[in-house]
Amino acid sequence: MQVAGITTPIEVYVASRERKFRINELLIIDDPNQGPLVGEVVDASSYNRFIPLSVEHAFSDAHVVESLKHLGYSIDEDEINIAKVKLMSETSFPVTTGSAVRLPAFDEVKSFLMKGSREYGLLLGEIKNTEETAKTMDENLKGLFYMFSEGKAKKTVNVPFILDLRSFHQYPHIGIFGGSGSGKSFGMRVILEELMRHQIPTVVLDPHYEMDFSSSQEQIEEAENFKRHFCKFQIGEHIGVDFLNLSKRDLLSLLSAVSPLSEAMSSAVEVLHRRGDTYLSFSSRLEDLAQALELGRSRIENALKQGLEPQDMERFKRMKELLENYQNIPLPSVQGISWRLRRLQISGLFSHDIKPVKEAMLQGKLAVIQGPIWLLQVFSTYLLSNIYRQRRDYKDGELRGQAQGDYFPPFVIATDEAHNFAPKGRDTAPKGIITEIAQEGRKYGVFLVLATQRPTLLDETVTAQLNTKIIFRTVRGSDITTIAEETDIKPEEARRLPYLPSGDAFVSSPLFGRTVAIRVRFPYTSSPHTINPIDEIKNHRLDSDEKLLSLISPHLPIYAANFVRAVEDINKDSDEKYEVRTLKEALDALVEKGRLKKQKSPLGDIYM
Amino acid sequence: MLEMDTSLKKRFEEAAAALKARLEKKPDRDFLRKTIVEKGAGSFLECKEMDSDMLASIVEKGGVAGVDGSTNSKGGIFPYVVTLQQALARHCNREEEILLSDAFSPLLFEKDLSEDDYRQYIKKNLSALEANAAILAVEEFKPRVLLIDGSLVRFKIEASQQWERLKQKALEHETLLVGVVEGISTGIISSTLEDAMPHFSYRAMDWEMLFGLLEMGEVLEMAPGLFKEGLRTCFARFSYDPKPIGIDMPEEQYAFLNQVKDLLFTLTPKNGRGIPLWLDIIDNKVRITDAMMEGLLNACLGEDYAEYIMAKRSKRAI
Repeated sequence: MQVAGITTPIEVYVASRERKFRINELLIIDDPNQGPLVGEVVDASSYNRFIPLSVEHAFSDAHVVESLKHLGYSIDEDEINIAKVKLMSETSFPVTTGSAVRLPAFDEVKSFLMKGSREYGLLLGEIKNTEETAKTMDENLKGLFYMFSEGKAKKTVNVPFILDLRSFHQYPHIGIFGGSGSGKSFGMRVILEELMRHQIPTVVLDPHYEMDFSSSQEQIEEAENFKRHFCKFQIGEHIGVDFLNLSKRDLLSLLSAVSPLSEAMSSAVEVLHRRGDTYLSFSSRLEDLAQALELGRSRIENALKQGLEPQDMERFKRMKELLENYQNIPLPSVQGISWRLRRLQISGLFSHDIKPVKEAMLQGKLAVIQGPIWLLQVFSTYLLSNIYRQRRDYKDGELRGQAQGDYFPPFVIATDEAHNFAPKGRDTAPKGIITEIAQEGRKYGVFLVLATQRPTLLDETVTAQLNTKIIFRTVRGSDITTIAEETDIKPEEARRLPYLPSGDAFVSSPLFGRTVAIRVRFPYTSSPHTINPIDEIKNHRLDSDEKLLSLISPHLPIYAANFVRAVEDINKDSDEKYEVRTLKEALDALVEKGRLKKQKSPLGDIYM
Repeated sequence: MLEMDTSLKKRFEEAAAALKARLEKKPDRDFLRKTIVEKGAGSFLECKEMDSDMLASIVEKGGVAGVDGSTNSKGGIFPYVVTLQQALARHCNREEEILLSDAFSPLLFEKDLSEDDYRQYIKKNLSALEANAAILAVEEFKPRVLLIDGSLVRFKIEASQQWERLKQKALEHETLLVGVVEGISTGIISSTLEDAMPHFSYRAMDWEMLFGLLEMGEVLEMAPGLFKEGLRTCFARFSYDPKPIGIDMPEEQYAFLNQVKDLLFTLTPKNGRGIPLWLDIIDNKVRITDAMMEGLLNACLGEDYAEYIMAKRSKRAI
């Protein structure tokens, strides 16, 4: 390998007859004047001068090439491999043409490949095309995890890509970009596994119900078990909002998450909600007011004049009072607030609180919050503001020298579909708190891991704060443009984005000062969604066939003459509700699949 | 220049018309083919592609090698020139090459040379160099077939000593010598057929007569005695290119023409210019490019001297 052609202080071409180059591999150029220079292959090509790409030339004549091979000459031997190599740091002079080029030993390029130690780092995957360099690596860095290739899990043979945990203090937030099927979810899973391994308190907002870490990957024998390191909470079932602690703003955003509030409704909530309200007190106030507005002042007064049961008396008095205070609020507004509140209540939101989440975090666990996206949006607003405030108060107190309140640890917030939580050009409930954390979280040790398939739709302030970006396959032009603007990704790499294989990614991090091409490791746990929907249909059908077969087999053979009896018997033994027609269809279907035999007889068909 | 001088335009048209008239006078293809056969000037043979067994039998007997040379002169106006020559021989089956090279300048000669003499010398020297490379190739590779880029006739004329040795060695080692001629410059056909085609009065070159005359994969074998003593020549078309090439063989080995023509046909890309690919590969390897000459000149002479002898002409900016 040697430097060929015209060189610059930034970029050179390296040619080799024997060795093929791979994009992103590191090479060392032994410049006689400037010493060893480290460069990265940004473009690789091969050329055979006897097989030019031209319509006028005839060297694609396969027969002749084949005949030459029989005579002992293989045209492939005349191939020349060319690599475009970008130097890691600019040199004072252009590189000397003809300088020898070699593969680096690990120690020579360690500073470019590895920041931080294995003990304090997230092992995200391997750096692509570093096998040769990895051979000279310390033993304790070799084969740290598994890679998935050609349907099998194999130990990595490349240099591991380690994201230094301590660097979070400097570069706190991570963005994960990539289209569906690009390996983005796998990447997220790997990051979360690593966070669990280091017992970093983490909150995961999981709109897809996929963040479960209880089933280990079957292909890995020594798969780590994360069962004890995470808790899964469903909003309304395990956790919820403590109504008593709701501020007016929280309540407004909760209600508007159900369905947007009109201006009249918002101001009505502002007036009607009082400090110290419970769900009960607030909702009954709404109901009373609604009824009062419906009845009108005179009817309430009339009712009060007539003798009433003491209980009703009390109510009518309340209604009268409410009417006097709030007679300007239109009835539809009150009713609108009322149904929104009821919907939240039915979802179970108000019957729980966020204590379990905080407990999990204090134990250094990963708390997965699941729920439909609309509920997740509101709930996360409440949850994130709450825990962020708690952490901030603790830290501020500590800084002021008056440590007050209980300890609350630094933590990580992770979510997929981040553009739903902090969208560009549109307000959502959680946007405020996410922007705040993006801008100030570093000070308090609160870090974000935001994944999205549409970086263009993510709020720009947030995007700008994502220091480390992991970019998977992206096809959309506008997203590629956004990525190119927001990262130090090179044009050659941006061009490769639409074609990255699933699981391959570019990591752009200020820590490395360049884009590193990685392949994400094979997660130790598997997502509940990985079963192919087509397989699912097939399996389901097989299952139901089995079920039906086991149901009818005690009643075989079934004669057409006593079909009605058979239907009755089968229905009695099970909860099914077959009719003669449907059972006959089901039996015929089984006959078609060869699971059952059908015979003609003078008395009609016999199924056996 | 857009408005062409009318008198110039007229003269140009006349000249072009002369070329065209000559083409139009060319006898009809079928007539020509018939006449060639009838007058006993030659006969048409068909080529067959060799299969891998046949190729394997050639490999068994020693395989195929090729020889080609290249020459390049650089510098200023005569005699401020340096000439570099190379001849390369390579065997299909072997890594090592035989590379002979020579460099000289008119200034090296004791007596004054004219530019024409120098040109003659260059030609002769290259032939000798190639012939020597061929001799070494026969001795070292002992190939069954040695393809030589260019006619064997020029060896016989320009480097007769080496040619005799080459022939002797080739017969000794049973190596078939085959000259592959890209640019045919003979005019045998029209002189032989002069009587049969009175209206075709001028002496046409052979390539002109044969242009489009041969089918793809066809060889025109010329009757003995029409060529230089000791050599036999035939014309062949191995690709879709209608211009034929020439094949030279020593009289003594002419019996193997059949095998040789099939081999050449097999090794020639059908869409190419009709030269066996192996010779093209060697040509590519041996070629001395201008850039290479310039680099050598700058390196050996120093850029200042190189600049000093450089002709003004080569500095044209537009």
